[in-house]
Amino acid sequence: MAEPAQRAVVINPAKICQPIGAMYATLGINQAVPLVQGSQGCSTYVRYQFNRHFREPVNIAVTSFHEDAAVFGGRKNLIEGLYNLVLRYRPRVIGVVTTCSSETIGDDIETFVKEARKEIGRGLGEDILAQVSIVPIHTPSYAGSHVKGYDTASKAYLEYLAAPGQPNGRLNIIPGIINPGDIEEIKHLVREMGVDPLVIFDISDTLNAPMRLPKPLYPEGGTTAEELKDCANSQGTVALCRHAGGSGAQYLLRKFNLPAVLGPLPVGVANTDTFLENVQKITGAVIPPSVERERGILLDHMADTSQYTVMRRAAIFGDPDIVSAVTRVVCELGMEPVVVLSGTASKDFTAEVAGVTAEYGVTPDILSGSDLFAFEQLARERKAEVILGHSKGVDMAKDMRVPLVRVGFPVYDRVGLFRRPIVGYRGTLELMDRIINSILDFAYPEDKLHQ
Amino acid sequence: MSFVTLKVDEGIAERGQHTYITDSTSPVLPVCNVRTIPGDMTERGCAFAGCRGVVGGPVKDVIHLVHGPIGCSFYTWGSRRNLSDNPLHRRYCWSTDTQEKDIVFGGEKKLCQAILESAALFPEANAVFVYATCPTALIGDDLDAVAKRASRAIVKPVHAFNAPGFCGVSQSKGHHIANTYIFEHIVGTRELEDPTPYDVNLIGEYNIDGDLWVLKPLLEDMGLRIITAFTGNADYDSLCKMHCAKLNIVHCQRSATYIADLVRDKYHIPYLPVTMFGIEETSNSLREVAAFFGLQERAEAVITRELARIEPELNFYREKLSDKRAMVYVGAPRVWHWIPVLYELGMEVVAGATTFGHEDDYQKINRRAHDGVLIIDNPNELELEEVIAEYRPDIFLTGLKEKYLSMKMGVPSINSHSYEDGPYAGFTGLLNFARDIYKAIYSPVWKFVEGGSDRG
Ligand code: SF4
Ligand code: SF4
Repeated sequence: MAEPAQRAVVINPAKICQPIGAMYATLGINQAVPLVQGSQGCSTYVRYQFNRHFREPVNIAVTSFHEDAAVFGGRKNLIEGLYNLVLRYRPRVIGVVTTCSSETIGDDIETFVKEARKEIGRGLGEDILAQVSIVPIHTPSYAGSHVKGYDTASKAYLEYLAAPGQPNGRLNIIPGIINPGDIEEIKHLVREMGVDPLVIFDISDTLNAPMRLPKPLYPEGGTTAEELKDCANSQGTVALCRHAGGSGAQYLLRKFNLPAVLGPLPVGVANTDTFLENVQKITGAVIPPSVERERGILLDHMADTSQYTVMRRAAIFGDPDIVSAVTRVVCELGMEPVVVLSGTASKDFTAEVAGVTAEYGVTPDILSGSDLFAFEQLARERKAEVILGHSKGVDMAKDMRVPLVRVGFPVYDRVGLFRRPIVGYRGTLELMDRIINSILDFAYPEDKLHQ
Repeated sequence: MSFVTLKVDEGIAERGQHTYITDSTSPVLPVCNVRTIPGDMTERGCAFAGCRGVVGGPVKDVIHLVHGPIGCSFYTWGSRRNLSDNPLHRRYCWSTDTQEKDIVFGGEKKLCQAILESAALFPEANAVFVYATCPTALIGDDLDAVAKRASRAIVKPVHAFNAPGFCGVSQSKGHHIANTYIFEHIVGTRELEDPTPYDVNLIGEYNIDGDLWVLKPLLEDMGLRIITAFTGNADYDSLCKMHCAKLNIVHCQRSATYIADLVRDKYHIPYLPVTMFGIEETSNSLREVAAFFGLQERAEAVITRELARIEPELNFYREKLSDKRAMVYVGAPRVWHWIPVLYELGMEVVAGATTFGHEDDYQKINRRAHDGVLIIDNPNELELEEVIAEYRPDIFLTGLKEKYLSMKMGVPSINSHSYEDGPYAGFTGLLNFARDIYKAIYSPVWKFVEGGSDRG
């Protein structure tokens, strides 16, 4: 079977488009609205993905390109769009998210934004204008996936907003495309160490909002514009996902000399150890007994359940940082990763995963930038017993008669997973339980469990 | 004059003529099928969505190859629940995954290659449908030329649908383009081997959550044979033979009257617009179809049988739903399809809206809705919020995006695009429809929502 590298057609992609990544980041900002500079599909489809994964409404606006914009460019659309958005929503932050069409046409977004600011100031008043930051984010999907989109947004926001001031003693965390539950868990760990986390793009409240009337116009929470400004004054930055947020951390390093740590995503024992050590290195805080206890509980559980996991063949797909961390967990559980796929092409994903698996003496097929069609073929050949990935793996799992353990984005065919962490010791425990219970539910003789 | 201006639209003159209150003594039509104001949080999608997602997508035995960057393909992969009985359908997503160099040098070669590869990998597919997207249309890729070339090479039909997202003002334009294309290039290319006097097509029926599978037996039990549905669970071959029908029955009259018109004009096959939701409308529709063929008695037998089957259970829901106040916002036709159904269930309709309705949709709404119903054309998120807060309906029938908005505001909602647990069409569907509304309204959760009304 031809690998997509040799195939022109991509069949069953394991990646989405740049704008959705940029919007993922934007939705983690307090009172922020992504404004999609393009046609309506590029925004409506994205909203739908968020709605189905988080079961939440999301505020996303669009400049509605039609034929005239396709011919003459999107200047009028953007100026009018920004004006209307400010008139109606008074957002603190607007992320102008470009699309394949506006980039193909070659819209001069920066100039259009300047013009729009003038109009807003004239029409709505300078004080209203002063309240809103408008940040262009260039996200043509023909040059990268959702992972890159998030990464691009992380840099764009910080370039635009971060400003030097008094040291604030906080630790910046750029989460990447992970869930509200993961962010909660990271905050918990950092706080246990006595450090105040400043999560940049904090979707933990904005995309997991309570039902409480009256509904506010914007969901509560999210990183405030002030915090985005202030993150130049933190002690350092940890980008949990190197590919999604790493550029933001590097920018803060270059510009403000903040120590930057890029990954690994703290899933599993070793990666969580590394994360805590990194926090320690940057802030000088010590790892408290409470966190050591969490680690001990994880180890205890790993020992209790290794009969179910050791030697079990797993196939893993999704975003590079998540996949590489989950591969490590799978190895830590004594399972054998047989196929590992990053849907987003990455320069160092293959070497990274090969490094992890070499430590454990296993040799999976590693695919970078390939599709689920190729992945499925290999997973069958190598007789995977469990698949780890998002909801798009469900058909192959059914056909192969193996369980799908849902990890990543989007997960729309199970409830509540976005609320539960897979990061940290406690999150790893959750992920382990998910893996083991799926195996037990699926194909394990009941009588063997009557112990 | 019964136009109204919502509070959130004050200062936005363009929105003034989109909102009105029904009034049978002096009915008005809103400004509709016009462009959305930039900066809106619109529910509208793109023409590509209408073409690929709505009309083309349900065809079950072809390769749906999207020529564009990955997003446009990913988003249309299995997201609309147009079910079929073909395992090839909905399980796969084909894309040319346009890259920067394709944008610069053109993507035709890659497209051609992708068609050849797909056809080789999936020999069971009977044709290839290729869809343009905004970026590949902007760079001027000639999909028709590639399709012709590729078709000769794979010796199977290859069709190019040129409905990039930016054309028209909504998905509606994509419906139109797909209709015209299928009529011009597919319909009439093969003949039915065994025509009967009772052959029909069911047009504008996409088998959402199995709608077709409850409608088809009704027509068959009356003695009719369905050549094809356009396009729910349709195979390529049957679309080619559409012109052999004696009558076209048109269900979704927004997305598919185009092809019924074209077939009538060229092949002199009449069509009948119908509503197959709710008892009265479904029964009347079956009667009208039957009258065309002289099958009235059989229709009555089917109707009597179905009513006997559903009435007992339906009475329970009628009692529970009586006087509940509904708001309904979907694409367009289902608004006027469902208004009488809601009345039939004893419910009141307080507000309605369409995403991409044209004048004829609003005419039908005006005919079917009682006086005093608030109607909005192409509402945005803020307008919906205002209306939900003002009217506080007992149920909001709408799509997934607005469903979560509604519930956040303490108002129960069901997914009315793809359904919760359908089908919703026909007699069987009415039970599901009523049950899903009941489940939403009577969920005990609403007792706990402070400021929400205790409905149970
Ligand atoms: S055109 Fe680009 S931005 Fe729009 S949906 Fe397609 S891939 Fe995404
Ligand atoms: S790029 Fe165009 S065709 Fe693709 S989703 Fe966006 S609007 Fe639709």
